[in-house]
Amino acid sequence: MVRARGLIVLTAATLVAFACGGGGGGGGTNKGTIKIGSDLPVCTIGGQATANGVKFAIDQKNSAGGVEGFTIAYQSFDDCRQGSYNADAGVANVRQMLDDNKFLGMIGPYNSAVAKAEIPIAAPKNFVMISPANTATCLTIDVPGCTYHPADLRAGNPNNYWRVVTNDNFQGPAMADYIYKQLNITNVGILDDSTVFGVGISGSFETEFKKLGGTVAKHSEYKKEQTSDFKAILTGFRNAGAKAVYVGGTDDQNICIPRKQMKDIGWDVPFTGGDGIETTDCINQASGNEVNIYATSAGADATQVPGAAQSIADFRKAFPGANDFGGYTMQAYDAANVLMAAIGRAVKDANGMPTRKQVRDEMAKTTGFKGVIGTYDFDQAGDTSLKIVSIYVVQQVTDPAKSTGVCGKAAKNACFVWKTQFDFAKSS
Amino acid sequence: MVGSGASVLKRFRSSQLGGMSLPDYGFYILCATAIVLLATQAVLHPSDFAQILVFGVTQGAIYALVALGYTMVYGIIELINFAHGDVFTLGAYIGTAILGFFSLTEGSFTTINLIALLLVFPLVMLIMGGINVAIERVAYRPLRNAPRLAPLITAIGMSFLLEGIMFLWKGPATVHFPDILPQASTTVAGVFFGFKDVFVVVVAAILVTLLALFINRTRLGKAMRATAQDRDAAQLMGIDINRTIAATFFIGALLAGAGGMIWGLYYNTIYYQLGFRSGLIAFTAAVFGGIGNIPGAAIGGLVIGLTAAFSDSYIGSKWTQVVIFGILIGVLVFRPTGLLGMRVPEK
Repeated sequence: MVRARGLIVLTAATLVAFACGGGGGGGGTNKGTIKIGSDLPVCTIGGQATANGVKFAIDQKNSAGGVEGFTIAYQSFDDCRQGSYNADAGVANVRQMLDDNKFLGMIGPYNSAVAKAEIPIAAPKNFVMISPANTATCLTIDVPGCTYHPADLRAGNPNNYWRVVTNDNFQGPAMADYIYKQLNITNVGILDDSTVFGVGISGSFETEFKKLGGTVAKHSEYKKEQTSDFKAILTGFRNAGAKAVYVGGTDDQNICIPRKQMKDIGWDVPFTGGDGIETTDCINQASGNEVNIYATSAGADATQVPGAAQSIADFRKAFPGANDFGGYTMQAYDAANVLMAAIGRAVKDANGMPTRKQVRDEMAKTTGFKGVIGTYDFDQAGDTSLKIVSIYVVQQVTDPAKSTGVCGKAAKNACFVWKTQFDFAKSS
Repeated sequence: MVGSGASVLKRFRSSQLGGMSLPDYGFYILCATAIVLLATQAVLHPSDFAQILVFGVTQGAIYALVALGYTMVYGIIELINFAHGDVFTLGAYIGTAILGFFSLTEGSFTTINLIALLLVFPLVMLIMGGINVAIERVAYRPLRNAPRLAPLITAIGMSFLLEGIMFLWKGPATVHFPDILPQASTTVAGVFFGFKDVFVVVVAAILVTLLALFINRTRLGKAMRATAQDRDAAQLMGIDINRTIAATFFIGALLAGAGGMIWGLYYNTIYYQLGFRSGLIAFTAAVFGGIGNIPGAAIGGLVIGLTAAFSDSYIGSKWTQVVIFGILIGVLVFRPTGLLGMRVPEK
């Protein structure tokens, strides 16, 4: 019965939509549907929390009348295979979006290795990609040490890729600065997970840490499918004089299991890393040794941006689950709004359904966008003018619901607490 | 000369030098080099060396438990049971689920923890034994007389099936296993080790000893040895082959279940693909020790655990896999039957 009634409602809604679409055409009536996709690893807690941000932005826009008379339809694509992000899955998702002319842009991907595979197939079609979370430097800027180059990814096509977060050129150094100057630690061991992201961020950390005068006791690497016991590696760091550990990698590569094992070998020093560890799954992996995990996040904390608190409160009302809000939810929310703003301008240009190229051209013209993570522009390469990196540390809090950082699942009160931020736009 | 690689190898293997075959010399030279290199480290940095030894022995003990299951099954029906690593992981998953029913205190040791442990540990072993017997009944027994490749493929299929079940059950992320063992730890002569390390090694040693006694002293053990030696002859002597093979799977899975529980209690983090890697390593350990050879599997597990720990510290973690499999190739070239060889009567 319930199902049948649902079908009737759906049919009625479709009829109404058709009636409006056909008969309307003027001013405030519905002109049709534009689709926006997201390509995120929604099998992970962090990926799903990011998709929630996109959904929240689109729902909000639709209930306020849509974009210039168009309703935005949102479809969430999952780029997980076997429980972690997979570039092939991402490419298949982008192909699916490219095959449907109603898709005018996408939010994602979440992982840099996926972006590296997707940009080359999306660029020739002028398909706008806005990532809420990619930080690998080489996706936008050609710096020494890049194993692939932004120009090659785009192959002569105009840029189609933007990101609302800053890159690892700032994330790694921010933590290096913090460890050296604030924690007064001059010797660290580095562990990376052998991925595009992990190698990149730990490399930029290492360069900066040495430049400051610090010593790298040892730089080791592992692969998820090969290592589950990190105690020998960690003991190697300790014996070489390390007083902290920096990890480059993501939680789906088990990057925070070493944190747990540090307790097993009786080694109590800070465990630090990039945005790949500012996640619920990381806190879970640390099981029993959560406190004093330091992580960077490639953006400003909501408490540091005027007006953002209200958006977060509204989000929490719409998505009340304990793990619905993640480190990149608000970035995704902003990315969706930037895209919808560009689509809105393109609709005006086209006086109707715009082409992908029109959306791309308008996206490239974005200036002074007022989002919840700040007010910003994009440069030619697709990078944001915001160069803020925040530092968080896991602590036991009394009220996880009020936390602006993510919290654990089993250890509900172990949450990332904002410590400080580095603004590289100001310092340079 | 072209095309006679096999004969060259054969000649190489049978060539003699002063009463000992040439490959044996190669094997002993390899062993001696490794021992000398490690001894140098032991003399130069004794406490570091001992510490790594502790890591290696604990890891190796767990691999040994899993390797025994591979080697027993291979010994009796010449099947590489690829699903065995996943049986091990499933043991840890079921263990964490059942432990969830107790009001445990994590991070310290209480009476409830002790009771839970004493109840759940054997229970998980029995459950896994039952599951493995069911797997044998469904996926391997109907294919017992089929070409050798057929049960191999069903074994791979079973492996994916079990992984899929764990994926659907708990999701792709790492799963927490309750930390309920005593946290006590101590430093002896610069070597740090905890109650957990001792627990792993002692429990594994007890289980392996029980297994050895079972196989050598009981009627069923005797039946297993006889079946391994010659299935048809054993049947003629009145041994129930199906029952004996099922018992082998049951006992193999008891050890895998125990291995899963120990892994969970020791590392406290499990994930659904754990069996693939640990299974591969354990299988390597079984081949390394001489597949079908029970003491060989136990020793193989220990050697691989130690190799991994030493390689992680002295060579570099990215080379560990290369080192382990490099040694495997070396051992198999010089000693195709593995470290202890196929001692047929005892497989």
